Amino acid sequence: MTMALKDYVIRRSFIAIPTLFAISVIVFAIIHAAPGDPFQFFLGFNPRVSMETIEFLREKYHLNDPIWVQYISWLKMLLSGNMGYSFITHRAVSEAIMIRVPNTVKLVLSAELIAIMLAIPLGTISAVKEGGIIDNVSRVISLLGVSMPSFWLGILLILLFAVKLDLLPTCGARTTGMIYDSFWESLKDQLIHLILPAMTLGYLRTAYLTRLLRSSLLDVLSKDYIMTARMKGLKERVVIYKHALRNALLPFVTAIGLAFGFLLSGAVLTETVFAWPGMGRLIVDATFTRDYPVIMGTTMMTAVMVVLANLITDIVYAFLDPRITYD
Amino acid sequence: MEEEREQEIIKGRSYIKRFLKRFSKNYLGIFGAAIVSLLVFMSLTAPIIFPYPNPRLEMRYTPPFKDWSVPLGTDNLGRDMLALIFYGARTSLKVGLGSILLIFIFGVTIGSLAGYFGKWLDEILMRFTDIMLTIPTLFLIIVFLSMFEVRGINVIIFAIGVTGWPGLARITRSQFLSLKKTPYVEAVQVMGGSSFRIMFKHILLNALPPIIVVLTFQMAGAILMEAGLSFLGLGDPTLISWGKIVTQGRVSVATAWWESTFPGMAILFAVLGFNLLGDAIRDSFEVEKVG
Repeated sequence: MTMALKDYVIRRSFIAIPTLFAISVIVFAIIHAAPGDPFQFFLGFNPRVSMETIEFLREKYHLNDPIWVQYISWLKMLLSGNMGYSFITHRAVSEAIMIRVPNTVKLVLSAELIAIMLAIPLGTISAVKEGGIIDNVSRVISLLGVSMPSFWLGILLILLFAVKLDLLPTCGARTTGMIYDSFWESLKDQLIHLILPAMTLGYLRTAYLTRLLRSSLLDVLSKDYIMTARMKGLKERVVIYKHALRNALLPFVTAIGLAFGFLLSGAVLTETVFAWPGMGRLIVDATFTRDYPVIMGTTMMTAVMVVLANLITDIVYAFLDPRITYD
Repeated sequence: MEEEREQEIIKGRSYIKRFLKRFSKNYLGIFGAAIVSLLVFMSLTAPIIFPYPNPRLEMRYTPPFKDWSVPLGTDNLGRDMLALIFYGARTSLKVGLGSILLIFIFGVTIGSLAGYFGKWLDEILMRFTDIMLTIPTLFLIIVFLSMFEVRGINVIIFAIGVTGWPGLARITRSQFLSLKKTPYVEAVQVMGGSSFRIMFKHILLNALPPIIVVLTFQMAGAILMEAGLSFLGLGDPTLISWGKIVTQGRVSVATAWWESTFPGMAILFAVLGFNLLGDAIRDSFEVEKVG
């Protein structure tokens, strides 16, 4: 059993490699298919920069090579753990990303945790007591949540909690320049900064997951085996928690994994509102300056995160559903 | 539900009539349709009701509900907030319609080719679709936007359209897979109808209901996406957009709360309108759940 599971995980991981390879080809092609390049664009504004300088820079960054030559040299670099250097800051892209990744992961995971903790009870009660007060209230909450721009919610929360009530900080991941006396003080400071961004992203996620669990549970509750369980005279609580919820959670878990990319997209906006130093800000800034290596590196990193999330979902699914065979 | 449907078919009600009858009972759907109609009205009449909202610096930061010539107040340049919201509706609808047109073209073409011809073509197209789904949409859009030095509204529409089709392609494919096995399609095949004719005249027409539902939700998604891009500063710099006004109002949120609150509410209602409409259309069509 455990051997089979281990094999399954290893096989799934290998399937991820061609996917990531294809993604890198597509993204690389899109970025480099663009007419012109960052040097022509930016230095073109400055009359003191000669054509020779631009040509020198193009040559230095191999932008004159055919695109497939550029791609192969990028891939070679990547395989040796180097994602290239930013055109603008000249710092290693991998270094810039590694500083940002923990912040994005922190934000995304706490939002997901909030959402799962709220969505499971809300979704369950809504489906079990369909048409009841809680169902109606939670439907309004989720409809608003799936329709609301996250950045706007963030601004409203800043207005309420930071400006009017003066309870929480408005931006950043920690207090700038603060020297911590102890680990606990540092943790407390970081948690305080995390509350508003995590609430913003978590609310949108709760809305989505509640809708999902509700419809998946309603679907299960109309199945014959639920009627059988009830006819056997089982307590309603047992029917709901043991028979219905367990089955309804399977599509729920799949959806959490599949929609992980959605969460990362939402994180870009949330990070911008709260000046949260994550990957979202990195790629947006790189877009303004057409900093190809940074755009390429960040996009690949998010693709890796999505692939990982899907892999974890598959494994969790295999644990939850005993019917899954590992071949 | 099934019996009711049979009764109505016996009574000779057409598909459209049955759809309208169910839709008219869905109050949330009617509310959604009302919001959408209001958006259309706003975007058509914006230039007539409000000649271009010129900055009037002497009126900057007028609070709402004080001066009735500017009921919702003014922004940091003294522009009428209500006028900005009307013009913003124009931008949102334009981006939404343009994007779903592209999504329709890409999604239906890819999904129907994969579903109808199957085999290796299906394998390749669906692999490609999966790959597109692995990159988070906003990141993919940003990659596309980075190609352009000037990001006008058409570039935004292109970026949203060219990244938004995978969901529709999957649904179109599954519709084609199940519809091509139906007796009436097999009958046309036996009679020697061309593949093109069967795909577009016989199958696509019957696959339209779920496609319309998905496109309605995509419209909501595109409006939200345009707002997000404008908020990030990646929108069309020459147009008035709700997302851009929210950003602009962000710096003065402590003193002029209305500057980002009202356009944000406009985004919320526009997206809510299309979401409600999508829910209602889905529930009124006689189809299995999609999206």
